[in-house]
Amino acid sequence: MASSRPKVSSALITPAIGFLCLATLVPIAAVVALSFGDFNIAFPEKTRFIGLYNYARFLSDGRFINAALVTFILVVVPVVLQLLCGLALAIALKEKLVGTRWMRAAFLLPSVVPPAVGGIVWKLFLIPGVGGLSYLASLFGHNFEADLLGSKTSALISVIIVSIWFGVPIVALLLLSSLDSIPDEIYEAANLDGASWAQAQWHISIPLVLPAMGAVAVFQALEVLGIFPVIFVLTGGGPAGATEPLNFYAFLTAFTYLDLDYSAAILVAFTTTIVGVCFWSISQISATRVGR
Amino acid sequence: MRRDLGRRIYGYLVSAAFALFLFSPILWTLSTSLKQPTEMFQWPPVIVREPSAQHYTAIIADKDFSSALINSIVVSCSTIILTMALSIPAAFGISHLQKTAMRRLLTLVLALRAAPAMIYIIPYFLFFRQVHLVDTKIALIIVNTMFAVPLAIWYLSAFFDQVPREIEEAAMIDGASTLQTMTLISIPIAKSGIIATAILIFIGSWNEFLFALTLTRDDAKTAAVAILNFIPFEGTDWGKAAAACVLMLVPIVVFVPFVKKIRRRPNNDRFRERVKR
Repeated sequence: MASSRPKVSSALITPAIGFLCLATLVPIAAVVALSFGDFNIAFPEKTRFIGLYNYARFLSDGRFINAALVTFILVVVPVVLQLLCGLALAIALKEKLVGTRWMRAAFLLPSVVPPAVGGIVWKLFLIPGVGGLSYLASLFGHNFEADLLGSKTSALISVIIVSIWFGVPIVALLLLSSLDSIPDEIYEAANLDGASWAQAQWHISIPLVLPAMGAVAVFQALEVLGIFPVIFVLTGGGPAGATEPLNFYAFLTAFTYLDLDYSAAILVAFTTTIVGVCFWSISQISATRVGR
Repeated sequence: MRRDLGRRIYGYLVSAAFALFLFSPILWTLSTSLKQPTEMFQWPPVIVREPSAQHYTAIIADKDFSSALINSIVVSCSTIILTMALSIPAAFGISHLQKTAMRRLLTLVLALRAAPAMIYIIPYFLFFRQVHLVDTKIALIIVNTMFAVPLAIWYLSAFFDQVPREIEEAAMIDGASTLQTMTLISIPIAKSGIIATAILIFIGSWNEFLFALTLTRDDAKTAAVAILNFIPFEGTDWGKAAAACVLMLVPIVVFVPFVKKIRRRPNNDRFRERVKR
């Protein structure tokens, strides 16, 4: 059989892989190099090597430390809540109840909304007094006029909620296909043994989707800071840096303050940390799988 | 299995809660986009009563936004073509490699895509500035292709895996070259998967914001960025911004069912078998 297979010439694969390596590795090398230099965009010829100076600046930069903390919060909290909400939604959608079937087709919508549009949509929804949230509150007889984006804590919570809004559909979809792959026989056996539906969920569904949740968590951790456009539109990183993660701070440093070498250092530190933690988690997950 | 009451209550309650959470902001935007200025800031807030298309006609007549919409379409479609030209042969080739080589290449492709988009923004900006391609569609197409190729290779190679090897082998025995086998046999069979992948690429490119924001000024600005112009600085007229959002969502809404089909795939047994063995 192997002899009559199409002969794969590397000519098929090389252009794509070559383009990919060129378009990713060269820029990354350039950013790393830039982070070790003193670079002024107006006088690029005066660039000189300054070693770890840009990295040393982190220690005395309160805004950097704040952004690192915000990054941590904006990765961990949304991912955990996306997993919990996604699991709750997946279990509900697995039921295929009459009247909720359309949900199975439509619930993915937020995950493909352009992030900038999502930012405007939520900004409209949260306008104090006249937005959609105030409308919903008025349906329940409440008078809700608070400016959620105006104070530090509520702005951060708002960004987390929007982040969950973007992420829950994909998480629910992946967990739903994981749930759908559990054989019905297991539930039937549990039912014969007198287990209620809730017990079956707790003792069968949740343990069996846990391994999938680990992989989904890593995947989402890499995706979740893609809400940069939402922050750009919704809060602009404010108030007072409360919703300014490192990628947002690096963006401002590069394109508003034109401090490109420092921005490069922030991005290198940010990327190394987030990719490093994710790859480490993947290796842990696959190690436990092999061990089983 | 016994249909106990708790199970149904849970199903309905949770579905209803998520339907409210996931859809109400979008429906509110739709309602706002149809409101007359007088209804916009009525208190307490209301759902639109007398729909008016005035905001839609206003933004279509807006030269900046309509040319940005055209830019978005041109950039997205060009990205599909360039990505496919690179990825279809590569995915076909990878799908026909030995297991270990295939796994190694797919892992490499995925690893190259792992870094957050923001790390690329400075080098790409400096590079395109150097070669005078800032504010051109070409720059955006190159960047979008860079982000789309790994995804496309990943999905397409899974679709080529599903093409029956017997048919390809029969074609080879009849004297077809590898290239002929790919174009005449495998691509037509994998067509629906290729279309689904093209749709994902379109969405990715249509939604792209960061590079469109930094690499364009006026000429090549895409709709995802031009939409910011409609955000009022002082909270008055949100109608145009809402209408622009709804227009941006039209192709997305049309494509959602396809997204579901393809995004489920990574959890398939077939996929598991491919990656973990």
